[in-house]
Amino acid sequence: MRSRSAAGEGRRVAVSGMGAVCGLGWGIPQIWAGLRAGRPGFAPLRRFDPSQHRTRLASEVGEPPPELARSCPDWRHLSIADRFAVFAAREAVSAMGTMEATGAGLALPLGEEAGVYFGSSTGGMFESELFFREFLRDRRRGHLSTLASQQVNGPGDAVARHLGVGGPVETVSSACASGALALGVALEAVRSGEVEIAVAGGSDSLCQLTYAGFNALRSVDEEPCRPFRAGRAGMSFGEGAAVLVLEPLERVLARGATPLAELAGAGASCDAHHMTAPDPTGTGAAVALETALADAGLPAQAVDFVNVHGTGTPLNDAAEWRALQRVFGERAAAIPLVASKALVGHLLGCSGALEAVATILCLRHGELHPAPAGDPGENDPELPVSLVTGEPLPFPQARTAISTSLAFGGSNAALVFSRFPDGAA
Amino acid sequence: MSEAVATPARIKRLIVESLNLEGMRPEMIEDEAPLFGEGLGLDSVDALELVVALEKEFGIKIKSQEIGREVFSSVSSLSQFIAGRT
Repeated sequence: MRSRSAAGEGRRVAVSGMGAVCGLGWGIPQIWAGLRAGRPGFAPLRRFDPSQHRTRLASEVGEPPPELARSCPDWRHLSIADRFAVFAAREAVSAMGTMEATGAGLALPLGEEAGVYFGSSTGGMFESELFFREFLRDRRRGHLSTLASQQVNGPGDAVARHLGVGGPVETVSSACASGALALGVALEAVRSGEVEIAVAGGSDSLCQLTYAGFNALRSVDEEPCRPFRAGRAGMSFGEGAAVLVLEPLERVLARGATPLAELAGAGASCDAHHMTAPDPTGTGAAVALETALADAGLPAQAVDFVNVHGTGTPLNDAAEWRALQRVFGERAAAIPLVASKALVGHLLGCSGALEAVATILCLRHGELHPAPAGDPGENDPELPVSLVTGEPLPFPQARTAISTSLAFGGSNAALVFSRFPDGAA
Repeated sequence: MSEAVATPARIKRLIVESLNLEGMRPEMIEDEAPLFGEGLGLDSVDALELVVALEKEFGIKIKSQEIGREVFSSVSSLSQFIAGRT
């Protein structure tokens, strides 16, 4: 969304807590360990039989911690995406953060001053597929309760229920930009005073619809994805949830908590070009980046690194490179790029939220997580980027980063994060 | 439609089969144990699922206002209610 308040208007917004689950593990400490190690989480899919599909891999989330099921009275009726969301949201609001643990330290229920702003692409689609498989085989065997959580707003609603959120609860579903767009809506809600606490992020689980759909489009690499590399053949599937707690900066400081980062700006745009392919000129994507920077009141020169959308499809990475050139000019080839999807896969409607978490972790730890090293021969001469690979890149002076989400339908979103306290002051 | 008699044993089997109750066997449900809340721990989603399953299994129609605490309080009460309808 183009921001409703002009730059500098409204309250400054801190990220006071965050939580996540993805193929690298349940919880921020495990995820950071995996990101930092540059260790991809791809393995043959187990959730359902992929033998009818072109590809076999995914970065799949492992079994949930047993205490999670025990502590959720409605566990049986939660979709997998709901369960991811509830876990991430609980981690995000839990006891005060340390460098490893990142909870906001908020008491439950959060009440009417809190809102939920959530992104999801497919919600409980996996469970709907289970229902229809049973139903088509034998009408008596279709479990209606499997459909209880089929709606795309299921994850956000589950978060609201479990945290006792009494304010607005909204779900954004705009393909792979959903998570980033939801964070943009949440930023505006906190800035404007609509809410004091925004629990915002996204959740998506692996399902046959997306697995088959992206395969039918031939957008999936048979090997783990290789963003920005020559010979890249597509994306890799991931799943999970990521949640940020946003509060007015002053409120966080007043209770003696340390902000994890400042969410300084958000921007969005549309290519208005094609159902699935990006505009090859990168114009639309560049507008999202520029709008986000304007919203943050920052020039492009202030950006220290970019967490790229970087799906690893030939078209996306090329269009994103054009967008970076438009925004950063000659710096585009030198600015460090972080490609989280090379490790966690594409979390679809959650990807923008998970990559927001990865971006904040990089700022906070003063180092950029790598993509796998690969072969130097894999560098794409058409895309002369400075991708962080192999080892974490020490970058303690990094103050500001931008994260991009470039979705089907040409829907683009960008988020600007600044390190606190010396970020955008 | 089925001419089935709604014996407690059939209702228990139906509950376990239709509600996907992991680790639960029909004989583990007592005739008089509460189905919702404290007892078996069913909730309103389960109630809707159970109504559909009972209607199919026993060829009856259950009105919305009949889906209440009394009729659905236990296997025993369900059995009596269905017996009165078939």
